Amino acid sequence: MRFELFIAARYLRAKRRQAVVGVITAISVIGVAAGVAALIIALAITNGMRRDLQERLLGSTAHVDLMRVAADGMKDWRPLLERLRKVPHVTAAAPGLYGQVLISHGVRSGGGLIKGVLPEDEKTVGDLLQKIVEGSADALEPVSDAAAAQGLPAIVIGKDMAEDIGVRVGDSVMVTSPQGDLTPLGLVPKYQKYLVVGIFRSGFYQYDSSYAFMRLKDAQRLFSEPDLISVISFKVDDLYKADQVAKVIEQEAGKGFQTTSWMEQNRELFRALKLEQIVTFIVLALIVCVAALNILIALTMMVMEKTKDIAVLMSFGVTEEQVRRIFLLQGLLISVIGTALGLVVGYGASWAGGHYRFPLDAAVYSIDYLPFAPRAWDAVVVAAVSLGVSLVATIYPSSSAAKVLPAEALRYE
Amino acid sequence: MSNGFDGNTSLQPLPVSSGPSVVLRAEGLTKVYPAVAGAALGEVELFRGLDLTVHAGEMVAIVGDSGAGKSSLLHLLAALDKPTAGEVWCGESRLSTFTPKQAAEFRNREVGYVWQFHYLLPEFTALENIAMPLLARGMGRAAALEKAAFWLNEVGLSARGQHRSGELSGGEQQRISLARALVTEPEILLADEPTGDLDTRTGVAVFELIQGLHQAHGLTSILVTHNLDFAARCGRMLRLRQGRLEEQKNL
Repeated sequence: MRFELFIAARYLRAKRRQAVVGVITAISVIGVAAGVAALIIALAITNGMRRDLQERLLGSTAHVDLMRVAADGMKDWRPLLERLRKVPHVTAAAPGLYGQVLISHGVRSGGGLIKGVLPEDEKTVGDLLQKIVEGSADALEPVSDAAAAQGLPAIVIGKDMAEDIGVRVGDSVMVTSPQGDLTPLGLVPKYQKYLVVGIFRSGFYQYDSSYAFMRLKDAQRLFSEPDLISVISFKVDDLYKADQVAKVIEQEAGKGFQTTSWMEQNRELFRALKLEQIVTFIVLALIVCVAALNILIALTMMVMEKTKDIAVLMSFGVTEEQVRRIFLLQGLLISVIGTALGLVVGYGASWAGGHYRFPLDAAVYSIDYLPFAPRAWDAVVVAAVSLGVSLVATIYPSSSAAKVLPAEALRYE
Repeated sequence: MSNGFDGNTSLQPLPVSSGPSVVLRAEGLTKVYPAVAGAALGEVELFRGLDLTVHAGEMVAIVGDSGAGKSSLLHLLAALDKPTAGEVWCGESRLSTFTPKQAAEFRNREVGYVWQFHYLLPEFTALENIAMPLLARGMGRAAALEKAAFWLNEVGLSARGQHRSGELSGGEQQRISLARALVTEPEILLADEPTGDLDTRTGVAVFELIQGLHQAHGLTSILVTHNLDFAARCGRMLRLRQGRLEEQKNL
């Protein structure tokens, strides 16, 4: 192989008799480099987007939720909570009570999902209450019943919901629960006025337009469920092991309980992101294919130019296989140089993009900069694709070089 | 002769002789170029049933008119081409049974070939060009270049090792080509009009160099030439005429 590499490298460096071959070789190197760089940058951006989305999503939600299969709520939940906090890999746990409501302000109203929380615990499993953009979540701290009796109970709602129903901090809203009281006239929805004490913004429309927080006690009162919770939310130390930890939690909780992890809850979203990444990869890999076509043209022309030299090499004992390898290595050298250049440019650009922060319109993209998250594994995959495609491109020219008949090639010289 | 091949051995044993051993033997050699489809040119028969025996240490000149088939005969003897019929034997090896890889190895180890034109590879220095057959067989670069330097000296160009072919004269280029043919220390030297591209004076110098190396290194040489003076100075002269090789005894 040393001999073949020696010849291939010298052929590549040497000044060409036909200038066009040199030009096409240079274009091939640039083409491969451009394709590889584009792939690395695109993958860094999609990874960055995915990472950012994941971080924000996981910041807003718990890693694992535990619920009753029968959706009948948990009555004696405190000992259960304490027991589950000790499950390995669980770093935090918080109780919550969910309920569908209608939130209205004057004539404007919208459907919402109330979560009754213990703020101190809730902040350890989700950061929606730390993303307050107006007002404060302090008013959700538990107070004595006497204190609660004075004034309106507090509620924190999402920014989009606040805009939809036209409320600001200090306004009051009417919360109507379908789980009302049973009267001789039938089931009468229960409603209660709340004081908007804070507005949060997570960046996720799903949360910002429908979530609302109140004290656990207030929620239990609203839903007529004294000391009942519907969910225990958990944070775990390794989010990619959330599925496994969820199973342990489920077993520890006993019969009648079920868990869902963040992966299950957002499977479709991440599947869509993965699909987008694959499509991006395929589209950009076409650039590498075009570059590989250039390699094919450059090598084919080089074989035509070197037919006589190939015959001479064969006349002193260079085998067909060695001739094939010379041109195969030449194609691979073009690809290796192009791929190396592309990786340097791609990672350089990704680093610069991450360092200098390319600004984005946060109102449109819900993020104010273009996130870059280059991964080492991408380099391996991209380099393998680039070298693989280039290798395919060398098959025809290297085979035709190996088919040169020395006596024929030199007969008419 | 040791050729290192696993190819078929001879169908008939070589004749036992008390004189020098037979190195190359052609029997009933026929070369016909088929008609080219679509071209006006029909089938071309160069020779039919041609026999040739060359003994160790001989220097044989083959003369003949242009187009007589001298170069084609040399190609067959070097396993660069296959005959239409007949057989070439090198020692006990039948060339027609060689696989392409065995033929390449034969050309690398048993035969040194000099073309009318030098055919040096322009991207490489004179020394690298000479070392090329050794590098091709897998010899280390340092050892190959050392051996190439010896042969560069043998052809009287030790000062030109780092020059590329474009920086050398025609005679120098052909000397380098001769050194490249001999660097593998083959038993047989085949030279196809090695002085045909050179002026008279340079041609004489190159011929005398071949003659000198033939004697100094105990080669078996076959020289195709149009120059009857050179041919007469070889030990044996054969004329290829109308597809037959005729021994030329008296010029």
